[in-house]
Amino acid sequence: MSDVQDKPGGGRIEGGIDAIVIGADAEGLTAAAYLGRAGYNTILLEAGVEIGGAVCARELSPGLSYVDGEHLISILDPAVIADLDLYRHGVSYAARCLDTAYFFEDGKTLQLGGDLQMAAAAFDDEEAGSAFQKFITDVFEAAAFCRPGFETAAPASDIEKAMRAAPRSLAARLNFFSLAPAQEVLDAYLPDGCLKTALLCEAGFRSAAAPHEPFSFMTLLRRWAGEIAGLQGACAYPQGGAVAVVTALRRAAQAAKVDIRAATGVASILIEQDHAAGVELEGGGQIRAPIIVAAGAARRVFMEMIGAANIDIGFQRAITAAQPQLASGHLHLSLKGVARDEKTRGHMNRRLVYAPPREALRRAFADARAGRVPDDLMIEAVFPDVLDEETGGDRMQLLSAIAHPLPFDENPNADRRAEIEKTILANIEKFAPDIEDRIKERALRLASDIAKSTSALAQDYAAPPSIIEQVALARVAGSAGYVSGLYFCGREARIGAGISCAAGRMAAKAALYEAKRGGRAA
Amino acid sequence: MIFPAEDVIVDSPRATPLYAAAASASEANIWTSVNGWSLARVFTSVEKEYHAAKNSAAIADLGALSRWAVRGPEAAQFLSRITTAPAPRLGVGESARGLILDGDGGVLDLAEVSRLSDDLFLLTTPTAHARRLQLGARGVDALGEDICEAVAAIGVFGPRASEVLSAAGMKMPGEDVAASAVVRGVETAARPIQFGALPGVELIFPAADALTIWERLVRRGKAGPIGLDAMEILRIESGAPRPGVDFVAADHPGTTTRRTPAEIGLPHLAPLDRGWYNGRRGLRYVATRPERRLVTLSVDDERSMPGAAVYAGGKPVGRITSCAWSPAIKRVVAFADVARPVGAKDYEIAVPAPGEGRVAAKLYETPESALAKAFREAQDAVGNAR
Repeated sequence: MSDVQDKPGGGRIEGGIDAIVIGADAEGLTAAAYLGRAGYNTILLEAGVEIGGAVCARELSPGLSYVDGEHLISILDPAVIADLDLYRHGVSYAARCLDTAYFFEDGKTLQLGGDLQMAAAAFDDEEAGSAFQKFITDVFEAAAFCRPGFETAAPASDIEKAMRAAPRSLAARLNFFSLAPAQEVLDAYLPDGCLKTALLCEAGFRSAAAPHEPFSFMTLLRRWAGEIAGLQGACAYPQGGAVAVVTALRRAAQAAKVDIRAATGVASILIEQDHAAGVELEGGGQIRAPIIVAAGAARRVFMEMIGAANIDIGFQRAITAAQPQLASGHLHLSLKGVARDEKTRGHMNRRLVYAPPREALRRAFADARAGRVPDDLMIEAVFPDVLDEETGGDRMQLLSAIAHPLPFDENPNADRRAEIEKTILANIEKFAPDIEDRIKERALRLASDIAKSTSALAQDYAAPPSIIEQVALARVAGSAGYVSGLYFCGREARIGAGISCAAGRMAAKAALYEAKRGGRAA
Repeated sequence: MIFPAEDVIVDSPRATPLYAAAASASEANIWTSVNGWSLARVFTSVEKEYHAAKNSAAIADLGALSRWAVRGPEAAQFLSRITTAPAPRLGVGESARGLILDGDGGVLDLAEVSRLSDDLFLLTTPTAHARRLQLGARGVDALGEDICEAVAAIGVFGPRASEVLSAAGMKMPGEDVAASAVVRGVETAARPIQFGALPGVELIFPAADALTIWERLVRRGKAGPIGLDAMEILRIESGAPRPGVDFVAADHPGTTTRRTPAEIGLPHLAPLDRGWYNGRRGLRYVATRPERRLVTLSVDDERSMPGAAVYAGGKPVGRITSCAWSPAIKRVVAFADVARPVGAKDYEIAVPAPGEGRVAAKLYETPESALAKAFREAQDAVGNAR
């Protein structure tokens, strides 16, 4: 129980709290659940009215809802699932190991099984199959080795140490994979053809680093370091969509007796003698606690809640230096009619990816960086109500697509939105002809739209930079400006696109370790 | 304020606004460059200039130092972020010394802050920090303007400094506060400074009027110019470490010798209880365990030279960073960077001589080291009381 006193000048001072978590997105919920489970009296504060951050269900047309923010999961931290017992709290997979169907400009298609290690066996071309098998074996080994580094930004000395301890051939490969452009790695392993184009597309998807640029292969390595239900590199569609993961995290936090307060914005973080001492609320009043975990964007947490005059210049520079240029766009379509026959539904029961040719991809990144909407976009689409039959409507079908790369626009006008929507639809038409005739409702969700609904900044939802840059930034941001008692698991502390929860887990673990060592908890 | 190390390579150093006056006064015609500006090392003779500064008054061209005017409602907060000087606590006309630190508490430079009005400050540093000031101003309502090119600066040192100023037509309202006056129609600001133990005044005025003020001080005030070599003796006697010579800035490319305030003998300029400043959090972790120490030694041998090994208990513990023959104590006074755990009082210095080639050296208390000692004792007393 918390102690409440009147605060001079109005408001209340709430004490007797062990930890405060700011921001109720997946990472914030994870951190709060970990702290709560450790027996800490924890309060989770969310400025908006919705719990879950960007990931939430929105109605597109009566009876048909889409999940905003994310539609698949691929890098969800297995340790979080196990520690917080998320299966017991409602996480289950409607499609555990999604196959992917790639579509190409020349009309060819390629199907890759969800279990990538087994996928090579299905290749008709023996040469391509064996090349792919070697590629997957090498990359999966490297990805598994790198996994701890993706969960938390390990110090450079630890990474060097781990590299030295690795077998020589693996160390050389890691060096190649971490520095080289995706294009170069794929050229070294695979013969020209559809498979290479498909994987090139995967390497650039949802990243600000184009596949022909240095360090870009790490994007794929990061994705394939994740595992779903023990299957490395797999993609899954949870029962109820990605929002079900957030719901399960919320249940886990509630089960751990975390006090979740929505519509409670934090105005500032109180720092006394270099220690985090609590928060000042937007509506007046203070909550005092020796542990603060912040899951918001670094700019907001450090520049607004703490203030530029109280953080080190180098730290400020690191968290404010990046200016986003690229973003992904989400388009949700409600389509007239429902496919009933098993064959069609079988085709729709996959992750559908349109992979533009190599040159078009290079041009697309250049155009998007120059502020133009590219003609060719990478598209990842799913039919959620086919993957999860429980959510399907009787008369309409939902298609959720993510398009990349788009120019980052803080406040796009109607013309720009119309242009983006038209281009995404044109690219979807390449693998789903005449889809436009079936569209009943549509919802275009750009970074600025998602930011508005979560009271965040549009740049918080821009495409993340290369993995190397993310690791460097996470290392700085994770230090939380050396404010003792403050832990950070916001966007800048995360590595890779998608729901991960690893940053929240690591922030909570660090807080618990420090509290145990220093005994600073109330 | 101390000059930084002389430039290693500069093709064509720029002329300070006082260059013409200095050139005409320079009999020795020995020049160097600092921060890319030409400065005279010697005007007449080092000894003569030294004694003039010690016993009478001497004027120096301070145009090679970096100067910024900082304006805005949050100028004080900005400066207390950039430097360790307690800018918000300064009254109008007051000055304070400080350091510029990096995020880990490593010393980047020395700094001096003067409050000229409620929201106008003057920041003086040995080397330029434009990028750092630009970064530090983000999110703070303050604007810094580099005024190096626009102003000239003369330092008047010595016991007769105030007399010289009076004769030139400027009266200081007090020993510790800055003032402004019109000297021969030139708007001139004066602020008290200390060059080591020597009291002095710095005059700052528009660059275009540099020669007018210099002439006025020389003719009316009867003050002679002092070059860098004589100032170097005064600096070492006073115990003020020189950036780039006695310590290397923590952000210097390729440096592995990061030094904390305590390690360069200036812990009193960055107290941990002074409120927040850049690098304080990092400093908190390293301040209590300095690994090196910059000490001043007196050596009874003129052959001592920078770079010479320093021994304690027969083992090498460091090296001399700078030294000069002090006419005041008739010995060589040297800065030595030594390993902290030794804690010895008696050292030996390697000299180019037959045999062992070592001479005895003793710790020498300077005004600056006395301040540091008093600060450490006060800190220990507070620590014991707790």
